Amino acid sequence: MEQKELRAWEALCIQEEPPACRAGCPLNVDARSFAAAMAKGEWSSARAILEKSMPIGGIVARICEAPCEQYCIRKDLGGAIALSALERVCVVNAPSRRKVFRLPPRPKRVVALGGGLSSLTVAFDLAKKGYPVTVYFGGERPGGSLNYFPEETLPQAVVKDELNHLEKLSVAFKPIENFTPDCIASADSIYVGQDDILPETLTVPIQHPDSATFALAEPGWFTGGMHGKEHRYRFITNISEGRQAAISIDRYLQQASLTSGRAALRNGKAKLYTRTDHIAAVPRKKPAAPAGYTLEEAIEEAARCINCQCLECVNHCKYLENFGAFPRVYARQIYNNSAIVKGTHMANTLINSCSLCRQCEELCPNDFSMADLCLEARQTMVREQRMPSSAHWFALEEMHSARTEGSLVRHAPGAETSDTLFYPGCQLGGIRPQQTLRLYERLLELQPLTGIWLDCCGAPAHWAGRKEAFTEIVQQVEKVWQEMGSPRVVTACSTCLKMFRDHLPAVPVESVWRVLAEQAAVDGDPLHVMAISDPCTARDDGDTRAAVRTLLKGLGRVDAPLPMSGKLTECCGFGGLMDCANPAQARQVAEARVAQTDAEIITYCAMCRDQLARTGKPVSHILDLLFSDLAHPAEEKPQSISARRIHRRRLKSALLNRYPAEQQEEKAAWEDVELIIPETVAMMMEERRILEDDIRKVLHKGANGGQHFVHDQSGLAIASAVLGAVTFWVEYTVEKDQYRLERCWSHRMVMRREKA
Amino acid sequence: MNLSFLPADMNWTCQPCGEKLQPGMVELEYMGNVFRVELPVCPKCSAVLISEDLAVGRMLEVEQLLEDK
Repeated sequence: MEQKELRAWEALCIQEEPPACRAGCPLNVDARSFAAAMAKGEWSSARAILEKSMPIGGIVARICEAPCEQYCIRKDLGGAIALSALERVCVVNAPSRRKVFRLPPRPKRVVALGGGLSSLTVAFDLAKKGYPVTVYFGGERPGGSLNYFPEETLPQAVVKDELNHLEKLSVAFKPIENFTPDCIASADSIYVGQDDILPETLTVPIQHPDSATFALAEPGWFTGGMHGKEHRYRFITNISEGRQAAISIDRYLQQASLTSGRAALRNGKAKLYTRTDHIAAVPRKKPAAPAGYTLEEAIEEAARCINCQCLECVNHCKYLENFGAFPRVYARQIYNNSAIVKGTHMANTLINSCSLCRQCEELCPNDFSMADLCLEARQTMVREQRMPSSAHWFALEEMHSARTEGSLVRHAPGAETSDTLFYPGCQLGGIRPQQTLRLYERLLELQPLTGIWLDCCGAPAHWAGRKEAFTEIVQQVEKVWQEMGSPRVVTACSTCLKMFRDHLPAVPVESVWRVLAEQAAVDGDPLHVMAISDPCTARDDGDTRAAVRTLLKGLGRVDAPLPMSGKLTECCGFGGLMDCANPAQARQVAEARVAQTDAEIITYCAMCRDQLARTGKPVSHILDLLFSDLAHPAEEKPQSISARRIHRRRLKSALLNRYPAEQQEEKAAWEDVELIIPETVAMMMEERRILEDDIRKVLHKGANGGQHFVHDQSGLAIASAVLGAVTFWVEYTVEKDQYRLERCWSHRMVMRREKA
Repeated sequence: MNLSFLPADMNWTCQPCGEKLQPGMVELEYMGNVFRVELPVCPKCSAVLISEDLAVGRMLEVEQLLEDK
């Protein structure tokens, strides 16, 4: 990923964008964090948040007109958060803990004419940067209009305190009468604050300044504080003008451009998206006393803050939630991951744990795609030979097995051509072999020229980022299809369907559920309420989703609501090889999925059925309803990895039996090794991804001249064999001709006895 | 790295060699990294025993560490 691409990714995720209140504050006060601190009664923290962005906070927080309130997302849900009143109660009750912090003194001198709010802001902002500022105030005291507030609104002691603070920052206050033309000559920049009473000789020549920089035509001269009583937000606007002028003065004195790279005021325009349809209206808290909120009332009012966030994707995705941040941060982590030359690639697991289900794209207001981001990163890792070899190893082994010992393509028995090829998908064949055969028979009834095609579509290679391997598979699949006469392909797997559609556009492909729905019975009597869990690969396939609903209606099933279904459906934990790279997370994903409904779940993806059933929740496959005599109980445990492998071979064998002229493939000698597998060992095999096949191969080798170890007292034996990239170990005892398994384990490290 | 991973129970005999396993130095290699470790070895045929504890413990940790390097 190039840095430019990273920027583009980051720009799509708006979670770090300021909320509407902050975007509506000309001083950029973090009102969301302020409200959160107030809701917790953390008054000092709340005041610190205000003073981080506010100049002369003790004054401003008391008189702020809170233009932010007009943009508050709560506005139509009980009224905007009363930020103005909350600011006041905060500074009244929490003394300031800010320290006098000033950058090293700078030689350039600034003069502010007028002692109003805008001039005090200029003095505050520039004095902190180290500029010596002299304020020439009108009237008897600095402060301009601040001197006319009622004492209960703005006590003079507070004004005095803030002026003292400014003096500590090396701001000098002088009456305007002391201002002479010499003062102009000795200043490097001059600010004219129009929010104070100044002699006409000074104000009349002032023209209108530039609206963004507040610069006057004369170089080094700036002005602001131009709003009077007629302006609804005059105090805060005058302060804002002072701040903008101070930014310009600083740039001017550093001989920098006044405009280049300058962030414009947002005026309430917020990119942050916040969903509100689940938020109940709560009326604004009214203070019991006219003086304002008590602390208890303030907590109650601040607690109404929605705490605007986007997090649309994160709130619905365990994977995004588990890594503790949001896509913008993940994009940066993935970028950094590929930039590391030496050191630990911390984001490998992040990249490999995404299900690539694309729910985030549907939920994101900007269509951010973690799938594209992660898939591209996986492809890069494979290309640069950085992909951990164990990450997708088991799934790729499964794919290889399905594409070799489990694969078969034939025209219907007795037929020489195919109008249709039934492509059940390798997982259906592995999980529901009997139902697969019955489904094929049903299709043969509908179209006698239906051939059978057992294979894997290559999705695991695609998901693993193995671009070259996947391209090769796609080419092989296309070749087989052409050799079979380029017929229509009907599949029972949403992933296969998507792979065909996305990567083999020449192949006419259809979902078996659509084919069956065309023949569906009239609606049966509603018998049973079930929640339909759409597989994530059917997200963009509305026709198939509708066909499944038609079929289920015909079978008397009523569709129970499932919040995340249809276009918004989510992964069962298998997609994108999540189950392979991060099995613990795959379990969490399945748990979260089944928790969305109390109804019994039905799905039309064999892998979804087993992944969701692993949670213990009853889950059915649509074939359990279509062929009730072959139905599996909804409570049935998922098929083990070993059973899936064996089922595929048996399915192939059963199909080949229909072609008497053909010779069956010979069984391998190791297949006859008889095992006794206690439940604990079966669980260990499942967790460690060790197949019965692997164990049989190890034991067969050990029994046929291979070495093994025997324990001197217990009689336990241990055998091992290197199968591909993995060394497998089995601890066992022998009972008659059977092997009773005790333990099994594996590793990827290769061992070599050192030469003596 | 020069470590010893001898199990507490060394009472294993290699078959068909009939030799009791002895401590011996073994090279373990993964992704181009080689470690010398002491493991139970058959003195006759050099077969090595890797215990379950080692395979699913330290060995797995090192494998994962190297994969993320």
